[in-house]
Amino acid sequence: MKDVYIVGAALHPVGRHYGKNIDDMAAEVLEKAIGDAGVDVDAVLVASSTAELAERQQLLGSYILESLGLNKTPAFRVENGDGSGGAAISMAYGLLKSEEYNCVAVVGVDKPNDVLSNQQQDIYAAVVDTYFERYFGVTPLSQAALMAKMYLKKYEYRYEDLAQWALLMHNNGVGNPYAYLRRQVKLEDAVNSELVSEPLRLYDIGPLADGAAAAVLCNNRKDGPRLLSVSASTNSTPFNAREDYDVLYSLRDASQLAFKKAKITPRDIATAEVHDSFSILGVLAVEGLGMAQKGGALAAVKDGALPVNLSGGLKSRGNVLGATGVYQLVEVAWQLLGREFKRVDGSYGVIHSMGGVDRFSTVAVVAL
Amino acid sequence: MKHESVPIYWRNIPQYYRLVAKRCKKCGATYFPPVVRCRCGSLELENVELPREGKLVEFTVLYQVGTDFLKQKPLIIGIVELANGVRVTGQIIDAQPNKLTPGTKVETVFRRVVVDGKHGLVMYGYKFRPVE
Ligand SMILES: [Zn+2]
Repeated sequence: MKDVYIVGAALHPVGRHYGKNIDDMAAEVLEKAIGDAGVDVDAVLVASSTAELAERQQLLGSYILESLGLNKTPAFRVENGDGSGGAAISMAYGLLKSEEYNCVAVVGVDKPNDVLSNQQQDIYAAVVDTYFERYFGVTPLSQAALMAKMYLKKYEYRYEDLAQWALLMHNNGVGNPYAYLRRQVKLEDAVNSELVSEPLRLYDIGPLADGAAAAVLCNNRKDGPRLLSVSASTNSTPFNAREDYDVLYSLRDASQLAFKKAKITPRDIATAEVHDSFSILGVLAVEGLGMAQKGGALAAVKDGALPVNLSGGLKSRGNVLGATGVYQLVEVAWQLLGREFKRVDGSYGVIHSMGGVDRFSTVAVVAL
Repeated sequence: MKHESVPIYWRNIPQYYRLVAKRCKKCGATYFPPVVRCRCGSLELENVELPREGKLVEFTVLYQVGTDFLKQKPLIIGIVELANGVRVTGQIIDAQPNKLTPGTKVETVFRRVVVDGKHGLVMYGYKFRPVE
């Protein structure tokens, strides 16, 4: 089977983009990525979590291609909540491995700022079980908070230890020209920020933001970083019936398979982008990828040596929902190349894209 | 949130009113929310009403809530383990957070969950409250 390479990419700055429609933003990055690759694409995969909910738009792919004057190219919409980006990458990889297509573009887009902030909570909460969780007021935030509370108790950390995650993310985000919140923060800012679902505070949440990212993947060109493996897993156990609350099962299963297929170990990772929609999930993702032992991620963060979320993660780059996974893929590719980011020391990068609180994960291994 | 569909609420009434779960006739595993196929592979599942007494596993006080719950915030969201070991996530009410700990005894109660002023819809369901 042919190998898959990332031959072109583009990112839209993350932020509040009141002046652009969802299809405009997606078309903008898609056009740039195709131009960057210098190829024609055979198919387009569109990752979006909230197009129907925030924009009341379906058939997004057709409207994105209309903006570019492209006709007849098949466009497919992929929705797996905030893990849509990773899901679309997984689908694109499969299409290219099967050689059904030679060049496929993946474009991720979401515009949560087109609705009011408390409506954003309703929309984001659509990733939890509508009938048995959302109906009673349960949200992803409250689930992450329960996991954080149990994790801090079990491994005897204080809240101040968890707040280090936000500090690291902001520190990293300063170097990302596409990040939403590009500033350093102090521990006291995080510790004194508004309590949102105890023990989690405002600084433990990746702010929802508008964004679009695109990558062109080909199996007939060898320029650019190579996608060594992509694996995905669903965790269908309901939150109330989870065995452990300090393990991301969907990530664990996807990463074991992805590492095995790529023939690398966690020690080979030079850069990882993980889905820290809430700080605790980033912490658990670091452990799930094997970059720290169980209960050891916060200690490792404090040591400052973890090459995780050099983009700033969802905390600083912003949580661009279904577009996040595509951002992560481009960020890792560019970190390996030293393009628009500082070049990382090593040849392997990993992305972890997740839908909901451990409901679905994609893990992709990228090599230079 | 918009509540435009009465059938969605109506068909969940057995679960919302009486905590009706599914139990596998073959291996005894019990599922809440209900499922159609047991993890052991069996399709023979029966309805079973869950016990009303249980204990708190963990809880959080949630201040950032959706539009349905703005008037009720903060919500206490907890995981409750019922007497037969089945766990349910839901609201803990009539409680002071500083007096709640894992292990606190709770019981299931029936309460109003959502009042949709626009459509005149009042929807009910289970919640949990501490017992002395
Ligand atoms: Zn069974």
